[in-house]
Amino acid sequence: MSTINFANREINFKIVYYGPGLSGKTTNLKWVYQTVPGDRKGEMVSLATEDERTLFFDFLPVDLGEVKGFKTRFHLYTVPGQVFYNASRKLILRGVDGIVFVADSASNRLRANAESMRNLRENLGEYGLSLENVPMVIQINKRDLPDALPVDMIRAVIDPEARFPVFEAVATEGKGVFEPLKEVSRLVLSKLADGA
Amino acid sequence: MIEPTVALYGDAFAKAAAVLEDLIDQAQVRYALLVDRKGFVLVHKEALWAPRPPALDSIATLVAGNAAATQALANLIGEPRFNELVKQGEKQGLYVEEVNDLALLVMIFDNTTPIGRVKLFGKKAVAELDEITRSAVVMPRELGIDKDFQQSADAMLDDLFGN
Repeated sequence: MSTINFANREINFKIVYYGPGLSGKTTNLKWVYQTVPGDRKGEMVSLATEDERTLFFDFLPVDLGEVKGFKTRFHLYTVPGQVFYNASRKLILRGVDGIVFVADSASNRLRANAESMRNLRENLGEYGLSLENVPMVIQINKRDLPDALPVDMIRAVIDPEARFPVFEAVATEGKGVFEPLKEVSRLVLSKLADGA
Repeated sequence: MIEPTVALYGDAFAKAAAVLEDLIDQAQVRYALLVDRKGFVLVHKEALWAPRPPALDSIATLVAGNAAATQALANLIGEPRFNELVKQGEKQGLYVEEVNDLALLVMIFDNTTPIGRVKLFGKKAVAELDEITRSAVVMPRELGIDKDFQQSADAMLDDLFGN
């Protein structure tokens, strides 16, 4: 849920990167961190294990700028993708405004994508939310893999009704990183403006 | 956008800020923050003598995440919650107290300040902040974000994230 602070004239949104382990959620955030100018971002916080697997979350605040007198910020989070970190994953979803689901194109990760999407639905349900009322976009990452599955095949297991915007990406090269972030931000703002 | 939120403005903001200012004077802490459970800073105050504070966004995020994890731990052993959290380092300490299910009070203090003093005045402040935050809960549609705001933000998204 967005938080507004009229006295400081700030409005904040929470965007969460969700998806299976090693799909590239942290890589997305690192690319955003490297690319956004220094005066438009805060410190990136990573709670990771020694081998750089996300343990709790990554966090990066990004300043959009002043919109109609309100300093507008997006707080970007990743969740730990590994199956056994579900308790942590659930906590990060608290107060979520929008989701970027990062799917893995590798042929042996199709089931992991499907299970992560099911897990997302279940965890949202714990907060009384569903994908019907939380804006979401899908990023299909690692399109440069030699065994990358067709986009349609991946979409068929995570978004069979083709309800969500889909973006292809190679996050390690920054391809397709900003498009889904921009789109989910737009969807979040649109939902608020519509008084949803 | 989806859930009710704490929108501190006008009198509510002034009251919360005054509570934190009193708290800093009485408890003799460096910084006092009111953060919501999602990890956003609602109000912060700092002592006049304190150095520039560390990144408050990061503190709020980590405190909220820590508090959520601590509550999950409490639930696992059959407790509804653990009420407070103290971290003490060599020179500074951090004290977190639940305000209610909406917000947390965070204080950062020098270790020359007795922890008992921090707790005593922290609990007094919590009682006041509880009422203030509960009365400041609004539904998302009351935030005042309209189509103009959306259009302006859209243009800035292009500017920041590229076309």
